[in-house]
Amino acid sequence: MRTPLIPLAALALAACATTDPPEREMGAARAMVSQARPIAGNDAPQELAEAQLKLSRAEAAMQRGHYEHARILAQQAEADAKVAWTVAESVRAQRSAAEVQDANRALREEMERKGQ
Amino acid sequence: MRFHPRLTVIAALLGAAITAGCAALSPGASNQLEEARAAYRSAAADPAVQANAQSELQSAAGALQDAERMAAEGKPAELVEHNAYLAEQRARVAMRTAETRSHEARIAAAAEERRQLQLQAREREAAAAREREVAAREQARQAEQARKEAESRAAILENEKIEREKQTTAAAELGAEVKRLESELADVRAKQTDRGWVLTLKNELLFDSGGSTLKPGAQRALDNLAQFMQKYPDREIAIEGFTDSTGSKEQNQTLSEKRAWAVKAALVARGIPSNRIDARGYGPSFPVAGNDTATGRQLNRRVEIVINPS
Repeated sequence: MRTPLIPLAALALAACATTDPPEREMGAARAMVSQARPIAGNDAPQELAEAQLKLSRAEAAMQRGHYEHARILAQQAEADAKVAWTVAESVRAQRSAAEVQDANRALREEMERKGQ
Repeated sequence: MRFHPRLTVIAALLGAAITAGCAALSPGASNQLEEARAAYRSAAADPAVQANAQSELQSAAGALQDAERMAAEGKPAELVEHNAYLAEQRARVAMRTAETRSHEARIAAAAEERRQLQLQAREREAAAAREREVAAREQARQAEQARKEAESRAAILENEKIEREKQTTAAAELGAEVKRLESELADVRAKQTDRGWVLTLKNELLFDSGGSTLKPGAQRALDNLAQFMQKYPDREIAIEGFTDSTGSKEQNQTLSEKRAWAVKAALVARGIPSNRIDARGYGPSFPVAGNDTATGRQLNRRVEIVINPS
C-alpha cells in the first residue's frame, strides 16, 4: 500500500485554504478505526496500523488547527480502516469456510467408515 | 557537485507547489490516479463485485470521478492524489467485500451440506437401530423356539420314560398273571417268546382223542382264560391248533383248525369279542418234539394261545 506524500501536501494546502474543523470526517474515521480494531488486529494488522497512524496524525493536525490536512488524513484513515476491516472479514470468512468444509469432510469420512 | 536524487524530487515538488500554487498535477498524483483507475477497472470487471459489492463499487467510482474531474480542472495535485487514493482503497474494499460474500456463500452451502449429512447420519443410525432391533427380536424368537423345543424334547423323553415304565410294569403284571394262570391249571405251560407270552395247553386237557368237542374238564381252563382276557381288554390272542404227524396231513390240518375254532367259540361264548381272537390250525407243522416217541407225539398234540404284546 502506498501512502501519498501528505505532509508535503499539507504544507501546500495550509497555504491555500482555511476551513472549518472536519468534525464529521474525524468522527467517521474514529468510528471506522474502532470498528476495525477488534478483528483487524489479528487478521489485517498492517492495514489497521496504517489507519491508526493516519488517525493519530489527523488528531495532531486538529490540535494544531491544520483542518484541511486533518480532513484529508481523517478521510484516508477511514478508508484504510474500512480496508482493514473488510480484509479481516474476508480472512475470517475464508477461515470459517475452510473449517466448516473440513468438519464436513471429517463427518463424511466418519460416516463412510461407519457405513462399511 | 551532484544533487542527491531524492532531494531533487523534493525540490521539484516544492517548486511545483509553490510556483503553480494549487494547479499542477505532480508525478505522484498522476501515478496514484493511474493506480486508482487500474484498481477500479479490475474491481468493476469482477462479476462477484458486480453481484455482491455494488454500493462499495459505486463509492469507489464516486471518488475516482472526483479525482478525474479535479485533475481535468487543474485542481491541486494533493486533492487529486487524495481522491485517487480513496478510490483505490474503496475499490479494494469492494473486492474484499465480494470475497467475503463468496466465502459466506461457501459457508452457507457447507452448513446446508452438513445439515444433509447429519440428516443422513440420523437416518442411517435409525435404520441401523431398526436392524439391530429386528435382529434382537429374531434372536429372542430363536432362543424362545430353542427353549420350547428343548422343553418339548424333555417332555417327550419324560413321556417315553413314563410309557416305558408303564409298559414294564404292565408286562410284569401280565407275566405275573400268566404265571398265575399256569400255576392254577394243570397241563398248561407258559413261556415268554418274541411273539409274547405263549400258553401251551395239552390236547388231553381240552379234547378227547380225535375229537374237537371241548371236554367238561376244560371249562375251568377256559373260564380262567376268559377272565384273563376281560382283565386285559386291549390284548388280542391267537389260538393255534397243532397235531402230531400220525394220520393224514389233511385230516390233521382240519382237526387242528376245528380245535382252535372250538376254543375260540368257547371264549366268545364267555363274552370275549370275536375280533380279539384269531384261530388257526397248523396240523403237524411246527412240532415241538419228535413224533417218533409217544411222549414226543403227546407234546406235539397241543393248542397254543399266543398273547400278543399290546
